[in-house]
This record gives sequence, C-alpha cells and structure tokens, in this order.
Amino acid sequence: MNRRGFLAAACACGAGFLPLAASAQETWKAPPRFVRPDIASDEGGLWALMDREERNLRRSPFALRDAKLKRYVQDIACRLAGEHCPDVRVHLVRTPYFNASMAPNGMMQVWSGLMLRAENEAQLAAVLGHEIGHYLSRHSVERLRDVKARAGFAQFLGLFGLVGAVGQMGLVAGMYAYGRDHERDADRIGALLMHRAGYDVGQAARVWENLRLELIARDEGIENYSPLFATHPHASERQETLEALAAELPGGTTGESAWREHVRPFLREWLQEEIKRGQHEESLALLGRKILIAPEEPLYPFARAEVYRLRAKEGDLEAALADYQEAVRLGGEPPETHRGLGFIYRIRKDAARAQAFFQRYLERAPDAPDAAMIRSYLKELNV
Amino acid sequence: MRNVERMKIVLGLSFLLLAAGCASVAKMESGERTLGERLAVTLDGDWNHVNLPGLGPAQVWTMEGLPIDQLLIYSGLKDGEVVHARDGNSKSKDFAFRSAMQPEEIVTMFEGMLTRDGSRFRLVKLEPATFAGKGFRFEYELVRKADNVRLMGVGYGAVSKGELFAMLYSAPRLTFFARNQPRFEQMARTARVKPSP
Repeated sequence: MNRRGFLAAACACGAGFLPLAASAQETWKAPPRFVRPDIASDEGGLWALMDREERNLRRSPFALRDAKLKRYVQDIACRLAGEHCPDVRVHLVRTPYFNASMAPNGMMQVWSGLMLRAENEAQLAAVLGHEIGHYLSRHSVERLRDVKARAGFAQFLGLFGLVGAVGQMGLVAGMYAYGRDHERDADRIGALLMHRAGYDVGQAARVWENLRLELIARDEGIENYSPLFATHPHASERQETLEALAAELPGGTTGESAWREHVRPFLREWLQEEIKRGQHEESLALLGRKILIAPEEPLYPFARAEVYRLRAKEGDLEAALADYQEAVRLGGEPPETHRGLGFIYRIRKDAARAQAFFQRYLERAPDAPDAAMIRSYLKELNV
Repeated sequence: MRNVERMKIVLGLSFLLLAAGCASVAKMESGERTLGERLAVTLDGDWNHVNLPGLGPAQVWTMEGLPIDQLLIYSGLKDGEVVHARDGNSKSKDFAFRSAMQPEEIVTMFEGMLTRDGSRFRLVKLEPATFAGKGFRFEYELVRKADNVRLMGVGYGAVSKGELFAMLYSAPRLTFFARNQPRFEQMARTARVKPSP
C-alpha cells in the first residue's frame, strides 16, 4: 500500500477502531498455509498475474539486490508471518515513496522510501505486519471479487504496486483499494503479529504520527490533501486507537540499533532520492525528525542543507549554511557538503571561501559528474 | 508484461490519439528555424513536432516517434513557470524555474521533472558549453518507471535575461540514442537567442 493510501486508510479506520482495542488480546489464529488455487478460478488467475509481475520485479532495474539487507528484511517478515514464512518473498524496491504491499501469491514489495522513514525494526514491522494481515485474511481476493463488478481493476492492481502494469505511480489507487473493514482487520492482525514477534506495538502509532507530520508540513495541509482526510476522522484519532491497542499488547523491543546498522550503507542513496523528489516541506519534516533521533549522523544535516539550498526561500541559504557546517563538524560528511558550501559562498561573492570549498570538493570527488562545471567556477573565481 | 508489449500498447494509444484528431504531427524540415519567440536553430535533417493535448510548456519533437525518443525544447521559460504539464488532480510536486537558478539547480529541476513518475535519473556529466551564448551541457541516464527501459539523454541550457532556454534529448540506450545524438548535438550547437522583440 502506498504512503498516501496507507495514511488515508489509517484515518478511515479511526471511527470504528476503538472497540477492537479491547479485544486485541483475544485469541486469533492464523489460517493454515495457502495452497495455490486452481488456475481456472479467479483467484488462480490473480496468482498467475502476480507471478508474472514478480518475475518482472526480479529483473527490474528498480530492484535493490543487496543480499544482506534483503535477508534482514525477509527475516523481519518471517518473524511476523510465522508458519507462513516460506510463502513470503520480500523484494526491496528503489523508489523514494512510503510503500509496502503484499500480493496473494506471497510477493511482498518494500520501497526504499519506507525504509528511509522507519526509525527502527518495530516501525517497519508495523507496516509489514499490516500487509501480512491483509494477506492472511485474503482481503485481495475478496476485493478482486468486489471490484470486478465496479470496473475498478486498475485501482485494484495498485494494491500491489504494479505501477508498470497500470502505467502510473499508483499514488491514489491504493487509497481506495481496501475498505475500512479490511484496514481495521489488517491493523488488528498486524499489531498481534508484532506483539507475538516481540516488537513494541507502540511503534505502529509512531509510524502514522510521523507520516501525518510530513503531510501537514505540505502547504495545502492534510485536510486538503485528499477527500478522505476531509470526510473521515482525523489521523490523530487513529493514532489514539493504536496507542490504546499498544496498551493492550505491552512490552516488546524496537530493534533500533540493528535497524540503524543495516540501513546505514544505503542512507546516502536514499537521502539523495528523497532530496530529488522536490517535496521540500515533507523532506524538511522528515529530516528534522531524523536529526533529533540521530544527532551524530552527518548525512541528515547534509541532506537538510541540500533541501534548503534547493528550496531557496527567504532564509534558506542561512539555514543550509548552518546545516552544511554541522555536517562538517560531525565529520564523515559526503564530499557534496563542500560543494554546497562553495555554492553558498559563491552566491555571497565570498570568492576565497568559495574557492576553498570547491577545491576541497574536487579533491575528495575528482571524478564527480559535475567536476568540469566546478572547475569552470574556480576559473571564474580566480579572475 | 514484456517491454515490447508495453511499447506496442503505448504506440497503439498514440496512434489512436492521432486517429481521433487529438494530436497532430508537423514535419520540421532542415534549415533555419525559430522556436518560440527567441530561440533560433539550424536543423541538419528533418524532425517531427508532436502536438498532443496537455503536453506542457515545452515543444515536443521526435525522430523515431513517441515514446521511443523525445526532444523537449524550452524557448524563453519565465521565472516561476513550471517546466512540465500540470496535472490538475495530481498532488505531485510541480517543478518551476527560477531565474536565479544556477546550472546545477536547473539540472536538478529537470531531474525532478523526469522522475515525477518514479523513474530513476543519474547525472553522468555536467559541463560548461556554448549554447545560446554562455550555457551548460549535461548527460544523464534514465530508467523509465513505466516499462523499465534504459534511456540516455543529453541536455543543453542557458539563462538569458532571466528566461530559460533548454533542449533535452533522450532515447533508448540501445540503438536509438547513438543514432540520433549527433543530429541533436549539431542542432544545439547552432542555437542562439534572438534579442527580445
């Protein structure tokens, strides 16, 4: 389910969610492992379609094929899925949006934008558990039968992130894909799976709250973001119900240090993708949160400086300068930090400082794609 | 779905649009051409100028046919103008030109535009160049989200009197880019900005 859909659905669930919190600890049993349906059935046809998409996904240039990270996320999914573990196949996808989905054949997609946003293992588990909840409840099959009568098949495919098949990002499709009852079920099951796997269920509420803060940061505000936000209970209400559910299912770990260790090698790439989305307000909300959580990490102030520099509103250059300097102070900053400082001092017509930082950038990244451009600036500054 | 099958569908849809009268293609013959009000180029070979509803501020040209290869031409984009077609229902970010933008910021703006659909962009080179006066040239790779096709692209840009002049050509890495790049480069080398009327 995509980021916007996830949050929208989250809001949509809020109204009817409270009564479920009280029954959270009721015994819920996962169904037995699913058997491949007859190809002649509608469900069999859906599995075949998903099998084909999974083959495409394996070959896709968007697939993130790092074996260690993939194994790590697969293990998290397995802890949640229990005896269904052998049927769950995790695919990591390089796309800078909050999204995870699970198809009825066991294909699970996890997008890099979600991994960037997760603060710990438990937060990722909250999203994966929710998707496994849909899978175990076979919601997609119910939904397939429902949409067949409504000519909504393209939206239905959006459930599984089949962006190639529907020719669009699926940013809106998922929003309407699962109904309120399905989302409510998936949340309840997801929380139980988290609890049974030893995760802190309270982190589920943090996921929604963090997303809500990102969307609020947008100029138009969350209520104008989609009709669902305007007509359904506020996200904060849902956050409260998730917190109530967490109180019913106490304990558990967050897995923060393991999470940080595994995603650290990819942070720079994911942050670059986030910056290039051009969603400056959302990115600033995200990065402000990241800096508070990990003030020792130089990549976050660097990334925030890049966002400020590219947004270029009043006061942004000063904010960028401070963040670039903070990244340098922390040490281990990317070479582009010095390029950014060079740009700012060049704009300020401080030739000496601009030269010094551009030279430092070229020393550290002599083969950078923009090296020729930077050399031309150095030449110009020498005049 | 195989890439070839997807391409057939897209081409089929393009054909349908043409057949329905929603689109038109004009032949741009060799010789001197003025694009928009102020950008003049010399063409060394024919191009096809495609007019489709809602294409946005850039002229769209092609050699092989859309969506195989695409040349976007910006002739005098003003401060604050968006560089792509606006989708009224979309909440995707709009990428707008600012006259104070530096070359790397303009390239980042185009990167944002080209990846609005989730495609992946990698800058290969950015260098100063003679284009419409003092400008810049950049090379890039793009993996198209819709069909996973790997494209190569080259772009030129310059800001003159606060207006953006730019050309971006992209085509599949295999066969098509190498076939048409020299003709595009030749055209870009001849670009010049005429004085304001």
